[in-house]
Amino acid sequence: MEKEEVKKIIYELVEASTGKKKLKQSDILKKVSADHGIEKDEVKAALRDLVDAGTLIFTYFGGSFIEIPPK
Amino acid sequence: MSLPDRQTDIGPPHYSKFLPPVIAKNYGKWLYHEVLSAGTMVHVSESGEKVYTVRAATPRLLSTDRIREFCAIAEKHCGGHLRFTSRNNVEFMVDAESKVAPLVKELNDKKYMVGGIGPRISNVVHTQGWVHCHSAATDASGLVKAIMDDVHEYFTDKELPNKVRIAVACCVNMCGAVHCSDIALVGVHKTPPRIDDNNVKNFCEVPSTISSCPTSAISPDPAKKSVKIKLEKCMYCGNCYSVCPAMPIADAKNDGIAIVVGGKVSNLRSDPTFSKLVVPWIPNNPPRWPEVTDAVQKILKAYVAGAKKHERVGEWIDRIGWEGFFRETGFEFKYQHIDDFTFARETFRMAATFKWS
Amino acid sequence: MSKKHDTPLLDELEKGPFPSFVTEMKMAAKHSDMSNDLLGHTELCYKERVTHWKHGGIVGVRGYGGGVIGRYSDIPDKFPGVAHFHTVRVNCPSGFYYTSAALKEMCDLWDQYGSGMTNVHGSTGDLVFLGTKTEHLEPFFAEISSRGWDLGGSGSALRTPSCCLGKSRCEWANIDTMAITNDITQHYQDEMHRPAFPYKFKFKIAGCPVDCIASIARADMSIIGTWKGPIRINQDEVQNYAKKMNIQAEIIDMCPTGCMAFDGKSMKIDNANCNRCMHCIAKMTKALRPGTEQGATLLLGSKAPIVTGALMSWVIVPFIKMEPPYEEFYDLIDKIWEWWDEHGKNRERIGELIERLSFPRFLKDVGLDPHPAMVKEPRRDPFFFWDESDIEK
Ligand code: HEM
Ligand code: HEM
Ligand code: HEM
Ligand code: HEM
Ligand code: SF4
Ligand code: SF4
Ligand code: SF4
Ligand code: SF4
Repeated sequence: MEKEEVKKIIYELVEASTGKKKLKQSDILKKVSADHGIEKDEVKAALRDLVDAGTLIFTYFGGSFIEIPPK
Repeated sequence: MSLPDRQTDIGPPHYSKFLPPVIAKNYGKWLYHEVLSAGTMVHVSESGEKVYTVRAATPRLLSTDRIREFCAIAEKHCGGHLRFTSRNNVEFMVDAESKVAPLVKELNDKKYMVGGIGPRISNVVHTQGWVHCHSAATDASGLVKAIMDDVHEYFTDKELPNKVRIAVACCVNMCGAVHCSDIALVGVHKTPPRIDDNNVKNFCEVPSTISSCPTSAISPDPAKKSVKIKLEKCMYCGNCYSVCPAMPIADAKNDGIAIVVGGKVSNLRSDPTFSKLVVPWIPNNPPRWPEVTDAVQKILKAYVAGAKKHERVGEWIDRIGWEGFFRETGFEFKYQHIDDFTFARETFRMAATFKWS
Repeated sequence: MSKKHDTPLLDELEKGPFPSFVTEMKMAAKHSDMSNDLLGHTELCYKERVTHWKHGGIVGVRGYGGGVIGRYSDIPDKFPGVAHFHTVRVNCPSGFYYTSAALKEMCDLWDQYGSGMTNVHGSTGDLVFLGTKTEHLEPFFAEISSRGWDLGGSGSALRTPSCCLGKSRCEWANIDTMAITNDITQHYQDEMHRPAFPYKFKFKIAGCPVDCIASIARADMSIIGTWKGPIRINQDEVQNYAKKMNIQAEIIDMCPTGCMAFDGKSMKIDNANCNRCMHCIAKMTKALRPGTEQGATLLLGSKAPIVTGALMSWVIVPFIKMEPPYEEFYDLIDKIWEWWDEHGKNRERIGELIERLSFPRFLKDVGLDPHPAMVKEPRRDPFFFWDESDIEK
């Protein structure tokens, strides 16, 4: 799968769970890799792009999570 | 003003850049060492070369100007090299005996406390407290200062039966190895968090607040769109406040200090052991906490009087029994001393043999 | 800066022989408004006997999930200088050795971008820079990283590994603690900077069972140097010690395993029964040295008492050679982390997970054989389980 496509899937997953359940990095790797049959390393590389770009960020209230940055 | 390019994932600088030449040359070749005084020791290498170490206390909370002063001392005496110990002391190393006295003199002249080596009290491992942490039930730096002022002779001069490691944690999160110290002071809350329902609604995520509680004491309060706490389950750990700022736990009248003793981390002679409760609560009495320093002195006095040479506090207590410890120190034994937590049963005396206290 | 706040309570803590943290804050306050307000803020905490800090969970540097801890005052209007007072954890060099040139450079940067206050060191071992504003985080990071420094760990990640000074100045080191610590730190940069674990994970590395870094009490994995075979004895030096100490009372009688003997002339050790407690070696440094077949014992699992009670680390690998490239070690760590990732809940430490799922199951799943060194005693109850493969069909 194209990296851009994986990034889109990850972003949508985080967006959909915002306000419901905070996702950890490992939740995202497990879910995207299981749902779409891609290697966890590939998901990880795409996620890293998103975080490096600031599209998603790590937060650390009661554990470390991946979230959409506050406006 | 333009910034240099940032780099990521490079890790710390390699330690070899920082080693004094005599250390680098004799790395892995040390034969033995001797403690020369409370604040100096010598390590001797296979090559015959020696390194003399001089140790001084720091308060750990250091200003940049203080670090610059350490640097100036290191430049003058040690070729610009220095190190810090795991107990917040600073160490200056020189490669000849003749260089020790001028270094010690300069440290003494500048009012540094040189010492902490050998069977003595070294510096105190401690946490952040009111200086920098939101869960603190007491201050750490102030307690350390009050205690070390009180026992400073055991740092700079007088010997004890063995080392006495003191630690301070300002809440039960205990950022450090407080629970395995000869004498440890722990900030404790006695009352549960107070819930500000309005603010919980506005500022807190209810599910993560609930899951922050280690004892599952928190449940939703749907009517108020807030949470409630089952009081008998709360152990006043403050975790919920870390996650939800609308549940403050600090309580000036009821926050205080507990003292636990007899722990150690080294494997010397006996296994590493946890410290055990001897005083459940002493009120906060800043800036000098006299009731706490008195209690520490009481423990030290009984230890010095009763322990054999080389016995750590815990080994001495093992020999005389905890009932003997309460007899020797005169601390009151209360309900709080009897464990009702996970490992409680293992601590009950399942035998008819004990000493009268 | 001129003095902004009266601090009668804190002033009391400038008296006495032990170095005062209040003096440090006043030194920093001379050129930092933030530290000036920190003094006033701390004085108020002393007066009211409560803390005035709030937790923050978002600020950091771009791309990283750790190394910065957000901190805010709950009374920012009174003390604008500490409205934001974030902590930056900078990864220490192994062994805590520095040159003055390196430290002074960091101090200059911190005066420019922060409060001028530090912790040397934090209890995990980082160089902790206390107190800066959100907008200074990126510039400070660019400045230090371009000079060869990086951030340490925080959050649900690998925390900054730290060690005793080992072979650099201690004759008892059985492993090269500083080299191992540096290697682990470099090997796992991603695990340190981008939190991917259920909770924190700490390595602490000690050169011998004296454990000067307190690894057994505060590391998820403690790597403790040890040896096999006989303790090296220099009988001439034993004779010298006999002149200045009571060897029978201070050494032989205090050996916890009763495996030593001294007949006034030579010292004998029944090495098969020695448990390597280090007592005799520590007290007769010139006469006794650890054996020559050296490696490490790996222990796992120390954690807090909250919920189920405190744990210290316990033995999972009695002996392992710790020599570069540490392949066997890294293979094991990867397996342990995979197992933890698969089964662990949010904020569940590895030690708690093993307690929940059982130690035998952990050993089977990561491929470690049971060994009597792993327990103090075998179980007392007859309520144990068997695998399918153990059952006769
Ligand atoms: C006389 C020989 C000894 C020397 C030269 C020595 C040296 C040191 C040094 C340099 C440190 C600081 C380590 C660091 O910051 O990296 C230290 C810490 C420590 N030492 Fe020793 N040590 C000696 C004996 C002992 C003995 C006999 C014990 C135990 C009874 C002991 C227990 C400890 C402990 C537990 C620490 C860790 C500090 C802590 O508790 O946090 N040491 N020692
Ligand atoms: C649930 C909450 C917390 C737990 C369980 C916890 C636990 C710990 C432990 C066990 C350590 C010491 C580790 C070691 O000795 O290696 C530590 C270090 C530390 N903690 Fe906490 N802590 C908590 C909250 C906090 C908070 C709220 C603060 C800040 C204000 C804080 C600040 C620190 C600092 C500054 C260090 C030293 C860091 C370093 O050396 O890099 N902790 N924490
Ligand atoms: C009132 C009782 C205590 C409470 C509430 C408490 C709480 C904590 C907390 C929250 C942490 C950090 C936990 C984490 O990082 O997940 C911690 C660390 C630790 N505590 Fe305590 N503690 C208590 C007493 C003790 C005692 C009595 C012991 C030992 C007997 C102990 C041993 C430890 C150990 C080994 C650590 C691990 C340090 C680390 O994770 O780096 N604690 N404690
Ligand atoms: C399936 C497991 C077990 C069975 C079926 C079993 C059965 C028995 C039986 C039939 C007796 C004799 C009772 C009598 O004379 O009135 C007995 C005695 C006893 N059992 Fe067990 N037992 C079991 C496990 C254990 C375990 C695990 C322990 C201890 C950890 C234990 C400790 C004892 C003791 C102390 C006695 C009394 C011995 C005496 O009279 O001195 N048993 N058991
Ligand atoms: S021990 Fe508690 S109050 Fe002290 S720094 Fe750690 S979390 Fe904060
Ligand atoms: S203080 Fe601790 S035990 Fe009490 S409700 Fe909050 S999280 Fe739970
Ligand atoms: S742990 Fe052992 S090897 Fe390391 S400094 Fe301490 S005594 Fe030396
Ligand atoms: S190391 Fe400990 S057990 Fe071994 S001989 Fe020495 S004192 Fe005895």
